Amino acid sequence: MSGDPKNKAAEEELRLPFEDEPAGGTGKRDAAGLVIAVALFALAAVIVNDASGYTIRRSYARFGPEIVPYVIASGITILAVITVIMAWRGQFEARDRLNIGGLSWLVGGILVEIVMLYGGTGFIAGSAVLFACAARAFGQATLLLNLAIGAVLSTLLFLLFRYGLGLSLPSGPLERAIDLLVR
Amino acid sequence: MDTFILLFDGLGTAMQPMNLMFALLGVMLGTAVGVMPGIGPALTVALLLPVSLSFGATGSMIMFAGIYYGGMYGGAISSILLNTPGETASIMTALEGNRMAKRGRGGKALGAAAFGSFFGGMFATLGLAIVAPFMVMVALSFGTAEYFALMVLSFMTVSAAFGGSMSRGLTALFIGLTIGIVGTDKLTGQVRLAFGIPEMSDNISIAIVAVGLFAIGETMYLASQHINHKTKAQAVSGSVWLNWSDFKRCIRPYIRGTGLGFLFGPLPTGGAEIPTFLSYTTEKRLATGEARREFDEGLGAIEGVAGPEAANNASAAGTLIPLLTLGLPTSATAAMMLAGFQQYGLQPGPLLFTNNAELVWGLVASLFIANLMLVVLNVPFIGIWVKLLTIPRPWLYAGILTFATLGIVGAQGSPFALVLLLGFGLIGFVMRRFGYPLAPALVGAILGPLAEEQLRRGLMINQGDWWFLLNSNIALTIYAIALLSIFGPRLWSFTRKAIRQNKGAHS
Repeated sequence: MSGDPKNKAAEEELRLPFEDEPAGGTGKRDAAGLVIAVALFALAAVIVNDASGYTIRRSYARFGPEIVPYVIASGITILAVITVIMAWRGQFEARDRLNIGGLSWLVGGILVEIVMLYGGTGFIAGSAVLFACAARAFGQATLLLNLAIGAVLSTLLFLLFRYGLGLSLPSGPLERAIDLLVR
Repeated sequence: MDTFILLFDGLGTAMQPMNLMFALLGVMLGTAVGVMPGIGPALTVALLLPVSLSFGATGSMIMFAGIYYGGMYGGAISSILLNTPGETASIMTALEGNRMAKRGRGGKALGAAAFGSFFGGMFATLGLAIVAPFMVMVALSFGTAEYFALMVLSFMTVSAAFGGSMSRGLTALFIGLTIGIVGTDKLTGQVRLAFGIPEMSDNISIAIVAVGLFAIGETMYLASQHINHKTKAQAVSGSVWLNWSDFKRCIRPYIRGTGLGFLFGPLPTGGAEIPTFLSYTTEKRLATGEARREFDEGLGAIEGVAGPEAANNASAAGTLIPLLTLGLPTSATAAMMLAGFQQYGLQPGPLLFTNNAELVWGLVASLFIANLMLVVLNVPFIGIWVKLLTIPRPWLYAGILTFATLGIVGAQGSPFALVLLLGFGLIGFVMRRFGYPLAPALVGAILGPLAEEQLRRGLMINQGDWWFLLNSNIALTIYAIALLSIFGPRLWSFTRKAIRQNKGAHS
């Protein structure tokens, strides 16, 4: 592949990042881009709604904590309008097909850890499950093996953080047992 | 001469056994995480931000600097052996470096990179020590209007320099600014955008924002791609030690790269990408003889590794100048460092040099020590780091994710931190997928609250009159620079295109 002309041509075309043409888009109407624009409009609305409820204080500044949120909200509104135009003209670059399976395993893993930590199972168990799910997300389908590696890794990390750095991690039965053993 | 006395004092601080240990820990962690494919120094610092919380200010700053430099060294390893540059700074290294590795000269490439990083890091750090006091003198005269102007400059340039389109950069910036206003307002105690959630009414920790946007968002992005994650690394072949003839080929690129990096590092143009690019193209243009053939035939030329690696480490030291003297981050990694300072309630700027002289000069001195440690870790012990690349990717990424959540939960002590982390991760993922740059969001979240404070203090002093912002020549100059840095590059690429077309018409 070293000597082929295509590779060389690509090299000649090396550009600084800011030289990318912004108009390198697909040219097709982009529904997902419109969703982003809607989300930006919604964000601006939330900020304005929040800022309008602040207690009014009279001060020398004549402007209180609401001024910056209003400035930000107007900025976001303008950018949302630009996003609508970009999406309408199809100026977002083409995207690869989404690997929904991989993404769901990953997000699911984090969600499960959140639920487990709130449920009081402790850090080690929660992290082990997250590790297993995340490895699955990247195509390592050996769930039991993943879980075992995750358990060993998070136990080591727990020991390091708990006793090495003195950080407090959410405790469950397992962590309390380790604490008893170490004391 | 004062500088050298201060630097010497700093060396005393840095040589204390505990601080040496923090430096060693920093460079080892930084290299280890930096070696991981796809993870650059910015992400490395983000991941280790929560870990350093329990070390005290000086210790953790020294560790941080070690992590920063270590991440730069480590990034070169994965770029050369795997062709997966962790961030834009090492793209140029991967170009020639990976070709060398494929042709059985990986060892030489790694050696050239390590010594280049050392050379660039050392000389640029020396430059930092010399230039910084002058910057401090200038900065001491700055008032609110000037500081506000500087922050606007930072906002504008970071949005313009990263990513292709200005509007997406600005959108990212405004998302960051929004994150910045969440929590309790410093001046009035007004709680903003907290929606009645107690964890959000004390401001969101920047570590959560950084790890969420960068680490979680990036892993989600990788998981969402249809690629086989089980690719193999090139084995290290040949000695990493450079012989005399290699060294002779490297020395000029080292000098040129260091100069470029140090020159461009402090400019608010987004850190290392421009100097590494310029260094690479310079070396390619100047190559003669053997090197010419290696560049042209795609065999991998050692100059193409040496120059950019010296440049990116030199620019790392260069970015520390505006960061330490003005509190202004000019790259994503510098923004992370700023977040690190803020964890300790330290605000980088001219006052840091007067109030915390020991910390600042200890930090600068420890940069020299970190560089020395790194060249030892990366030349004789390179094999150990390369072993890290043989860990199967699914487990590697899963481990990184576990580490990220652990650091955040441990530092915050509440599972709610994970909910926020997931939220920022999803935002980061969507931004990454739709081509929004992440750095402006981070800079916005960090600098936004500071800019707001300057603005409102200024308004208070001037009794609500906005004109004070323009009532200063320094501030006006800074705004002019901001405009120039936005439109300058566009003008440049326009003229370049015109020249190119002209050439096309003639031939």
